[in-house]
Amino acid sequence: MKPAPFEYHAPASAKEVVDLLSELGDSAKVIAGGQSLVPMLALRLTAFEHLIDIRNVGGLRGIERRGETVWIGAGTTQSTIGRSPLVAGTVPLLARATPLIGHFQIRNRGTIGGSLAHADAAAEYPAVALALDAGIEARSPRGQRTIPAADFFTGIWSTALEPDELLTGVTFTPWGPRSGFAIEEFARRPGDFAVAGAAVAVELGPGTSGKAITRCAISLFGLGPTPLRVQAGSLGSEAAETRGEEIGRAAVADLAEVPSDLHGPAAYRKRVGAAMVARAWTRAIEEALSV
Amino acid sequence: MINPAIVEGQIAGGVVQGIGGALLEEVAYDADGNPVATTFMDYLLPTAAMVPEIEYGHVETSPPSVGGYKGVGEGGAIGAPPAVVNAVADALAPLGVTVTRAPLTPAAIIALIEAARGAGVSP
Repeated sequence: MKPAPFEYHAPASAKEVVDLLSELGDSAKVIAGGQSLVPMLALRLTAFEHLIDIRNVGGLRGIERRGETVWIGAGTTQSTIGRSPLVAGTVPLLARATPLIGHFQIRNRGTIGGSLAHADAAAEYPAVALALDAGIEARSPRGQRTIPAADFFTGIWSTALEPDELLTGVTFTPWGPRSGFAIEEFARRPGDFAVAGAAVAVELGPGTSGKAITRCAISLFGLGPTPLRVQAGSLGSEAAETRGEEIGRAAVADLAEVPSDLHGPAAYRKRVGAAMVARAWTRAIEEALSV
Repeated sequence: MINPAIVEGQIAGGVVQGIGGALLEEVAYDADGNPVATTFMDYLLPTAAMVPEIEYGHVETSPPSVGGYKGVGEGGAIGAPPAVVNAVADALAPLGVTVTRAPLTPAAIIALIEAARGAGVSP
């Protein structure tokens, strides 16, 4: 099938984008790489009278250090992020998540802003943003604001962005030196959306032998209407020796809205999710202990 | 063989189609009879990224036709499904699992294992 007819806009500035958004309201949608939106339009799962292409908008691409944080422009492609030495060195979880997104042709077009704004519950970048407490920058005619990732994902394909807001960039704050990061997912075929997945970040206490975990984040994807952050319970002082299987079981124990479809009933997805948490936990701890 | 590349291309295509039938392709319906695998997002075909290396062996015979020619088709589609399904059945046999349906999706295999456990078959 082909998309329903739409009017195409390609403004040259973020101001023009938000002005158009506030003028056109719900009948307009921002298009970046189009790797999720275009198939949905073509299947007529959705339709918009206006598409606002942000390819010509300046200032939306790039990866740079900004003070204590690393800023990534919303229009930066997943391929660019996957190849960036700065991302690999400062936000390794994001770098490791990138090859799991679709196939390379998709990553050449797909953008980080598109991934976050589309907010698929089974996608990798939203789960990474949630685990790392990313700041999501949005611009509207009222100005610029930063939305914490924890407040950003509000429901199925739904975010805290207002109808007249444009996602302009994402900021990540690098973790300390004794940290470890891992992301694991299971998909039916390479490049498919994950049946379930988990991203884990851990930071160990000071000194070179301490095994106390001072900071830890686990996020799940494909296991609810949004990516989910697991609320960490109390971990003992030798927490780094906690077995991944225990963590995995605990992480999925209280999930209430696990999707169920052709590729797996809810109980199966929880089981896969627990296994992905266990693998990611073990790898993240190993990395943190090896630093 | 007049053109081995075509012969082996046919076999490869058939083998891959057979693997797809054994592990992926499912014409599924919901309880009300609505088809649920209506796009290639849900009706999964094997892709180039997941095809194993295929080795070919040929036995050449000539039929009593004019010139002794005969065609060759997607014969791999006949052998691949039982090869894959029997391999899975063999792997699961110690768990007391009997495989009776395809495709053998990951969720279906887990369900089979759990059903065998529930039936009291000791692993």
